[in-house]
Amino acid sequence: MIRVEGLRKSFQTRTGRVQAVDGVSFAAADGQITGLLGPNGAGKTTTLRMLYTLVSPDSGRVLVDGLDAASEPTRVRASLGVLPDARGIYKRLTARENIAYFGALQGLDARLITARTEALIAALDMRDFIDRRAEGFSQGQRTKTAIARALVHAPRNVLLDEPTNGLDVMTTRSLRNFLLEQRAAGRCVLLSSHIMQEVARLCDRIVVIAHGHVVADGTPDELRESTGCANLEDAFVAAIGSDEGLFA
Amino acid sequence: MRALWIVLRKELLDAFRDRRMLLVAFVVIPLAIPLVLAGTNALSARKQMQQLEGPLELPVIGAERAPNLVAWLQAHNVRVLPAPRDADAAVRTQEHDVVLRIDEEYGEDWRSGRPASVEVIFDSSRPLASGATVARLGGLLDGYGSTVGTLRLVARGIHPAVANPLQVGTRDVATPEARFDLSQQILPYLLLLLAFIGGMQLAIDATAGERERQSLEPLLATPVARESIISAKILATAVFSLLSIAVTLIAYRLAFAIVPARGVDASFDPEPAGLLQLFLIILPVVLLGATVLTALAAFARSYREAQAYLPLLMFLPMIPSLMLMVAPVRTQLWMLAVPFLGQNQMIVRVLRSERISALDWGVSLGASFAVVAVVWWIAARLYHREQLATSS
Repeated sequence: MIRVEGLRKSFQTRTGRVQAVDGVSFAAADGQITGLLGPNGAGKTTTLRMLYTLVSPDSGRVLVDGLDAASEPTRVRASLGVLPDARGIYKRLTARENIAYFGALQGLDARLITARTEALIAALDMRDFIDRRAEGFSQGQRTKTAIARALVHAPRNVLLDEPTNGLDVMTTRSLRNFLLEQRAAGRCVLLSSHIMQEVARLCDRIVVIAHGHVVADGTPDELRESTGCANLEDAFVAAIGSDEGLFA
Repeated sequence: MRALWIVLRKELLDAFRDRRMLLVAFVVIPLAIPLVLAGTNALSARKQMQQLEGPLELPVIGAERAPNLVAWLQAHNVRVLPAPRDADAAVRTQEHDVVLRIDEEYGEDWRSGRPASVEVIFDSSRPLASGATVARLGGLLDGYGSTVGTLRLVARGIHPAVANPLQVGTRDVATPEARFDLSQQILPYLLLLLAFIGGMQLAIDATAGERERQSLEPLLATPVARESIISAKILATAVFSLLSIAVTLIAYRLAFAIVPARGVDASFDPEPAGLLQLFLIILPVVLLGATVLTALAAFARSYREAQAYLPLLMFLPMIPSLMLMVAPVRTQLWMLAVPFLGQNQMIVRVLRSERISALDWGVSLGASFAVVAVVWWIAARLYHREQLATSS
């Protein structure tokens, strides 16, 4: 369960201050997949970064399973599995070693790491490259490894920043099924995307962000209803005010 | 603590799978340093042997004016060469180390008992190249002069001691270990430099490289405290450089076993206790280097930017060594508290087999570790900056 209340964050850039996130509030429930949809530069990544305490908000707060991220950052990070925008893996380690490293950092013992890794290998279809060094991995293999290492500690909350970026159709499919399994297991899954077909297809609840604001929030049906549009695509465009950057 | 160990182990595993890094740390450096030192040593030994014992090649201007002197010189292992056209130029261009000119009035002066002039032409700005040769020629000329002088006194019935009111003797108190200048000047610097920036590749790779390869953000998203992460990266750097230094020192000893430093007598030939002392002396420098490099890598926006600062860091350990080379001073206690300067003095003492008191150890180690702690604190602050992971 993730609750976000009135998050604001601005950055100093060379050309002046940029208000990246400007009052974002939403909730992501357990057993649901929640999608953060918005064009590039809408503030999705910055919002997620505040969730996993990499960036601290100027104001507002983040609650993960009732824990305040500002006062309990370590426990909040421990209850999250994060696939950040940056998903580099260690090239000189094998996929298995990459996963085991993060398992150890999450405080798991070796036996548990082995068991969880086996389960993730099956779920993400990683058998044929699991013991190869990551040097020369395809984008799909890298993303799978990054997802496996993010979830090796079986976190109750899963954050994924643009998880299908750069993946081929087959990998996207297996990732989608994997996320549905996570939902079935009662996890709280929060993913960001700028591809509305993907969000429409996968998410139980959609939070539409544009220019640092939440412009719409609800189930796909609610979104259609509130915008008065029969199809979701039109509903998104109506909510955001333009169709800029929403098509894959 | 557990997390620190996990990160440390992973960083070392990562480093030991980097062939290029291994090649530099465990092959190139351990080969290069002993080769340079042993090579220079062997060269300078051979040169000194030649200058002291080999035939002295000496162009003589006007050799025909002093046949007895020339014969005497030839009897003393001097090979007399024809005079060059321009003696000054020949010496200045190092064509000859030294040229002897016999004055035109030599024969006449000699016969009439007046001091006869000879002139030694040499270049004092090249003491290393020609100093020994010039001194040797000077000694030979003095010898000839005093032999003839003694004979003249005896011929006049005067005891030769009359002309020698003073007898000067010298006693050199240097121990064999202390006499070897080369390793005393170069080795401390090389050791300190290696200790300080020997881990540069690992340190920059572990922070700036990790960020550039986009794996720092996932790492920071784990519950592990940043202090643990940075400490582990610093320790991994330190362990790696210590191993590299150990291999280098072993290679150094082997090199001197193969290329004995004959002629210049004892090279640095420490017993195990001396090696241990050297290790203990440079340990804080290794930690300081690892911490400074890690802080630098956290501060720099990219791998390349971090590398751009390296020449500056190379210069740091050089400063005290240069100072001591130019103006050798007596060691005072406060110097031991200054990073690099203190270690330099301590290393020289070990090389000279001098005793180091408990107080000296305390001051040197205490001060260095205090500096390490301060830089560690700065590095940890840098690791807490939001830009660390987000500005890539």
